[in-house]
Amino acid sequence: MKLFASRDDLICWLESLLQQRIVVAPVRVEGQTMFQPISKVEEIIFDFGNTTLSPKGWFLPPTETLFSVRRDDGQVELVPMLVEHDAVVFGLRPCDARGIALMDGPFLQEPSDTLYQERRSRTALVGLACHQAQPECFCTSMGSAPDDLSHVDILLTEVEDGYIVQVVTEKGKALLPKGWAKYKGKMPTPPQLKTIPTKEIVSAVRELFNDPYWERLADRCLHCNICAYVCPTCYCFDVRDYPDKGKVERVRSWESCQSPGFSLTAGGYDPRTTKGERLRQRFYHKLLYFPERFQEVGCVGCGRCGKACPVNIDIREVISDLQQLTEARSGS
Amino acid sequence: MSVEYQPKVVGFLCNWCSYAGADMAGTSRMCYPENIRIIRVPCSGRVDPLFVLKCFQRGADGVLVSGCHPGDCHYTEGNYHTRRRFALLREFLDYLGIEKERLRVEWVSASEGQRFAELVADFTMELARLGPRSKI
Amino acid sequence: MGQGAKSEMDMELIQQIRDKARNLLQEGTVEGVIGYERAGDGLTSRPFFAYDSSAVERLVFDETCTHNLVKYLLNKKGKRMAVVVKPCDSRAINLLLNEKQVERDRVFIIGVSCPGVVETNWSHKGETLQARCRSCQLTKPLVYDVLLGRETSRKAEEETYSDIREAEAESVATRREFWQEQFSRCIRCYACRQVCPGCYCPVCFAERLEPLWVGIRIAPEENTLWQTVRTFHLAGRCIGCNECERVCPVDIPLSLLNRKLEKDVKRLFAFQAGLDPEEPPPFATFKKEEMLEFEK
Repeated sequence: MKLFASRDDLICWLESLLQQRIVVAPVRVEGQTMFQPISKVEEIIFDFGNTTLSPKGWFLPPTETLFSVRRDDGQVELVPMLVEHDAVVFGLRPCDARGIALMDGPFLQEPSDTLYQERRSRTALVGLACHQAQPECFCTSMGSAPDDLSHVDILLTEVEDGYIVQVVTEKGKALLPKGWAKYKGKMPTPPQLKTIPTKEIVSAVRELFNDPYWERLADRCLHCNICAYVCPTCYCFDVRDYPDKGKVERVRSWESCQSPGFSLTAGGYDPRTTKGERLRQRFYHKLLYFPERFQEVGCVGCGRCGKACPVNIDIREVISDLQQLTEARSGS
Repeated sequence: MSVEYQPKVVGFLCNWCSYAGADMAGTSRMCYPENIRIIRVPCSGRVDPLFVLKCFQRGADGVLVSGCHPGDCHYTEGNYHTRRRFALLREFLDYLGIEKERLRVEWVSASEGQRFAELVADFTMELARLGPRSKI
Repeated sequence: MGQGAKSEMDMELIQQIRDKARNLLQEGTVEGVIGYERAGDGLTSRPFFAYDSSAVERLVFDETCTHNLVKYLLNKKGKRMAVVVKPCDSRAINLLLNEKQVERDRVFIIGVSCPGVVETNWSHKGETLQARCRSCQLTKPLVYDVLLGRETSRKAEEETYSDIREAEAESVATRREFWQEQFSRCIRCYACRQVCPGCYCPVCFAERLEPLWVGIRIAPEENTLWQTVRTFHLAGRCIGCNECERVCPVDIPLSLLNRKLEKDVKRLFAFQAGLDPEEPPPFATFKKEEMLEFEK
């Protein structure tokens, strides 16, 4: 179903949504655009390429307390964390929506992550189609598109005097106000993107585990966590228990396989001690292990990693390099 | 009934001089505010800036670092390092939003029980005037 | 100076770097050359490691070469490496020499007289020099085995620390609010630490479990402790390359922290890091007769 909303209609709708639920939307923060819960509709930015961090942080926060345990007079009490509110993530790009859908694989399979699941079912996704591709974008090579409505409840497409509102799911339909007219016009042409060849990437990756390529690429890698933290589909975390004044909190925070010591086990053994082994792990997870488990490549083509990486390690280049290496191997 | 603000003060005292000085204040029955919690260290040079920052993070309103007078350090030079370290840290903390008055560095010898009692009283009063430190 | 003359000079310098690198590799003087190559956007640059003479053709040098390559020497201990070094980077070498982290005879330093670098982001090249370059007093590296490029005619501005002084003139409460806001954005990616040549502890204090200083929580309280202590661990050691600020994905103004300490260390101890590899660092030494502020 396609509807049309003027800018004013949209603002009105957002105001009413804000009365009922948490609205997480792109806002300006010190010169960057970030997803944050808003307190006023005026904070929302509509004109942006993509945000610095993906909206995955709403479903898997950088830090959260999973539960706490209190001891009172010999009684031990488990205090679970509760998801208190309905929410809507507004203004996310189709690539990021696909990122969330991919994260559903590991987080919703049995036994599901209860906090993630609760947030997921209580959060609606209102996407914003891209009218312009950024230099770093390659979503069409990774199963998405600037106008892809596969993973949102509603998709907005900006046109001259307002927005085309595509209602994708019942959940989306239930959010909308009455009285918006049907849209009978044409859909604007989405921007064209350069594609990168990704056929056979999974088998290319499988063959190159021991190739010296990884140590060479890792020479310039700093082993910070930027790529994993900006990525819509990276989801590694660390869990620790912290005692504090009579209670213990179990805390979960983002972590990344790039950090030295990430895979260090009790007893001192670390299966990934070299830079190349650590760097390889991230690409292997995205391009081989994830597709083997969930039948989809774990990258959505948002381009954030190559853009944010201080030394420009870009997954597009890596995919292209790996394919060239495979061809060279089979050719010779 | 109103509850007056009672500053929480942590004191790092070196074993050989200032801790002994504080001890002397005690044995001589000199009164000083109970707001201070004393941690004994072998030398004021043992005090890592991390200790001070952690104190502020965990709720201290003021931190006192006390050692032997320069020239009298039991380990010869520990307090020279203390001096440099905390001169810089005081400035830095102030820059970050923790008033430099909340970090005191004082030299107290083993016989200066009176001085110790007086300086704790003075420090506590100053902290009461400054108010509770805002959460960092 | 016309654009043509400038790019001619650039090409001359690039050729010199390539020739030197090729020469070093062919003669076996080094196992690898750490320099810069063109980045994927075709506009900016990124670090590049050349291990054989065919690879040297990828080496470039221009105003986008902002990265401090000296950090990589710490990953290549035991190997003989050459590294392309700007004047600021040479201070990092002096720091690491002073702290015995680099063996002088295992590093071949290709010094470059750098006229300054511009702000760069992915697919974006700035027009003006970075602030740290405008106030850089060095016209050539302080240490090198070979010096390439012509000595810069750039006139250095004086480092007045005006932004630091402005902050110092504000109230404590204003500053506290400012830093709380800045630190609340930190996501603890540790890029600042990983890029810094002065941060090389095998186990960073932030990763320690016993004693537990920071923990894994990514929240303003922990972030503040992280940022404060990392900066303080660089007191008298930070050489001002500003890489930390460049790599921060959430734009925390780290130079406002590091330069504050740089200014105070200069004032209190008359010391600046990385100028002389033999000079004892300010916290490893003392003066018996110095009287510092809190004692007055």
